[in-house]
Amino acid sequence: MGKASIKRSKLARYEARLAKIYLIPAFLGLTFLTYLPLLSVFALSLFKWTAIMPKPLFIGLGNYIRLFSKDMFFWTSLKVTIQYAVLTVVLSIAYSMSMALLLNRKIPARGFFRAMFYVPYIIPAMAVYMSWGLLYNKDFGVFNALLAQFGFARIAFLVDSKYIIPSLAVIAVWTSGNLIVIFQAGLGSVPRVYYEAAEIDGANFWMRFIHITLPIMSPIIFYNLLMSLIANMQVVVPSLIYAGSNRTTYPEYTFMSFLMYRSGFINNEFSYASAISFVFFALIGAFTLVLFSTSRSWLFYEGGDK
Amino acid sequence: MKGKRKLISILTAMLVLASMAGTALAQERVTITYSMWGDNEEVRVLQETIDKFEKEQDKIHVEIVQIDRADYVGTLNTRAAGNNLPDTGIMAEDAVLMWAEQGMLADVSKMYGEGEAKPLDSLAFTFDGKPVGYSVANEVLVLYYDREAFAQAGVTPPPAGADGAWDWDTFVDVAKQMTLDVNGNNAKSPSFDPNNISRYGVMLCPDFWQLEVWSVSNGGSWYDENGKVTIGEPEAMEALQRIADLYLVHHVAPQYGTNTSTTLDQDFVNKSTAMYVNGQWSIGVWLGAAKASDGLDWGVGVLPYMKEKVTLNTGGVNVAFATSKNPEAAMEWLKWYAKEENAWGLIQSGIWMPVLSSYYTDEALTRKWVENPNFPPYDEYKSAVVDYALNNARPTSWYWVNNTNLFNDALSSILAPAWSGNVSVADAIQNNLEQLNAANQGY
Repeated sequence: MGKASIKRSKLARYEARLAKIYLIPAFLGLTFLTYLPLLSVFALSLFKWTAIMPKPLFIGLGNYIRLFSKDMFFWTSLKVTIQYAVLTVVLSIAYSMSMALLLNRKIPARGFFRAMFYVPYIIPAMAVYMSWGLLYNKDFGVFNALLAQFGFARIAFLVDSKYIIPSLAVIAVWTSGNLIVIFQAGLGSVPRVYYEAAEIDGANFWMRFIHITLPIMSPIIFYNLLMSLIANMQVVVPSLIYAGSNRTTYPEYTFMSFLMYRSGFINNEFSYASAISFVFFALIGAFTLVLFSTSRSWLFYEGGDK
Repeated sequence: MKGKRKLISILTAMLVLASMAGTALAQERVTITYSMWGDNEEVRVLQETIDKFEKEQDKIHVEIVQIDRADYVGTLNTRAAGNNLPDTGIMAEDAVLMWAEQGMLADVSKMYGEGEAKPLDSLAFTFDGKPVGYSVANEVLVLYYDREAFAQAGVTPPPAGADGAWDWDTFVDVAKQMTLDVNGNNAKSPSFDPNNISRYGVMLCPDFWQLEVWSVSNGGSWYDENGKVTIGEPEAMEALQRIADLYLVHHVAPQYGTNTSTTLDQDFVNKSTAMYVNGQWSIGVWLGAAKASDGLDWGVGVLPYMKEKVTLNTGGVNVAFATSKNPEAAMEWLKWYAKEENAWGLIQSGIWMPVLSSYYTDEALTRKWVENPNFPPYDEYKSAVVDYALNNARPTSWYWVNNTNLFNDALSSILAPAWSGNVSVADAIQNNLEQLNAANQGY
C-alpha cells in the first residue's frame, strides 16, 4: 500500500513536470503575443504619440479625458455599437436556432438546404455588403421597388438614421450560418428517448421544445451567445464599406472598432486609438461578465454540475 | 590527382572573387525605395518608367513599394513607428501637412535651382512657408454629362467654358428637366412623382472634400488664409444648403452621401443620372474605358457657379522622407519623375493632368496631351478642363491647412442630419462650431 502510493506520487510528479514543459510554448505565446501587447497598449494610451512624432509625450489620463468629455464621436459610438450588437445577437440566435430546428427535421434535400444556409457565412464580406448595398438602394434596389409597388414611401435603408442599424443587423443575421451549424450539432446530441417519453406523456411541440430542447441546448446557446456577442461588438466591415474615410460618415456607422481604426491608422493618433481600444476592451469584458454571471441561473448541464 | 584538386581550389577562389566583384559593381548604384498606391497595372507602368530612369543614369536604382490605397497612410505610419520608411513616396493630400509638422518630410525647396522649370506654384504644399512637396499631377473638378440623354431631351448640355458657365438657378432648372420619374415625367411636370425616380438630373461624387468647391463658389470658404475655420459664415453654409436642397427641395439628386460608389461610368451606363460632378481623373480611370467598351457618349463641362466661377485643384504629392539615408538620390528621382514626359502613360490615359504651365499655354503641348483616344473632342476638353484649370482653379484647402482629415470627419458627421432635412445646414454647423475648431486644431 505504502509502496504503491510512493510510486503513484512519483508518477504524479513526473506527469506534473511534463505538463509544465508542455505548457511552456502556450505560456510564452500568451505572454509575448497577448499580455505584454495588452500592457503596452495601456501604457501607450497614457502618452500622446502619433507614430511619426519623434518622442511620445506623457499626458497621463489625457486621452481618456478627451475621449469621455470632448470626443464628439465617442458616446454615439458607444450607443450604436451596443445597439447593433444586442440587436444582431438576439436576432441571429433566434434565426439560427429556428433554422437549425427546421433543418434538423427529416425534410427532402436536407443536405442541400444545410449547405445553402451556411454559404452566406463563407462569402467574402466585401461581396456580401456590396450586394446588400444594391438591394437596399433607395432608387434602384429591390426592396424599395417592392415598397413602391405597394404604394409605400421609399426608405433610404443605409442612410436614414432610423434604419441604418436594423438594416445592418439583417445582413449580419443573414451571414450567421456558423451559428446554425453549431446549433445543429447540439440538436443532434439531444437523446431521442426524452422526446419519446414526452410524446407518450402527451407533450406537444412547444412543450417538448421548452422543457427538453432548450435546457439541454443551453450550454450551446450560451456558447453561441458569447461568441456572437464578442464578434458583433467588434463590427467594422459595414463602416469601412459604406462609410469609409473620406466619405460622408453617418453617425450610425461610427462603431467602436471603426473609431479605433480611424484614429490610429487614418488620423495617425496611435496613442488615442490605444485609449479607445482599452475602453472598448473593458466594455466587451463587462458584457461578457454580465453574461457569465447571469448564466448560472439558466444554464443546464446534463451531468448536474453547474 | 593533387593537381586536379589544386585546379579546383583555384577555380573556386576565382569564382568567389568574381562574384564579390560583381556585387561590388552592383553596389555602386544607390538603391532607394518609392512607395505608391495603385493596382498592378499602375505598377507595371511605373516599372517601365523606372527602367527608363535607370537607363538614363547609372547611380540610382529605384524599388517600388506597393501599398493598398485604403491602408496607405496607415501602413506608412506603422513603418514610421518601426523606423522603416521608404526613401520617397506618393502621399495622400490630407496627410502631407501633418507629416511636415512632425518633421518627417524633407524640405524640397532646394530640389529646383534658379531658372529651372518648376511645377505650378498652386501645386506646392507649404508648411512654415517652405514647400514640402509638389503634386505629381494636377486635377480639377468638372461636370460630366451623358450626351445622348441631353440630345434625347432636347436640352442644351452643360457649357464647356467658364464664360458660359450656368448660374445656380439655370443649373437647377436644367437638372429638373433631366430628372425623370418612372412614368417619364420630368421634375418640372406637375404630375412628376418624386417617390419613383428613374433618372436623376445630377449626382455628386461622395468624396467629402469636394464639397468645399461650392462654398468657395458662393464667395465663402472653409478656412481663411491662416487656416482658421470660416465655415460658420453665411456664404459657406448657404452653398451647402443648396447642395442639400438639390435633394430636399428640387428632387434632382439623390440625398448627399447615399451614393457610396464613385464609378460614374456605371451611373451613366445604367441611366441613373444625366450629370455627375467629379474630378478630371475620372476620364482615365473610368470614362475612357466606358466609351470603348459600352459605347458611352459622355461630355465634359464646367461646374455651375453661385457667385464666382471656380473649381478646386488638387493632386497626390510626391515627398522625400526626412529619414532617408540618401536624400540627394531621393530628390533626383522625384525631380526626374515629375517631368511630364516621364509620367506620360498616366497623362495620356487621362488619369493625370500635367503640372507644368507650358502644357496649358502652348497649343502644341496641349494637343500632344489631349489628342489621345480617351479624351473628348479637343475644343471641348481645352475650354472645359485645360483653360478652366489654368484660370479658374483654386487649391483645395489641404495645400495649406493641417488636420483637414479630422475636420472633414467631424463636418461630415455633423452635416449628416442636414442632408436628410432633419436640421438646416446653418443650425448643424453653428451648433457644432466648437467641435469643428477643435478638429482644426488637432484636438
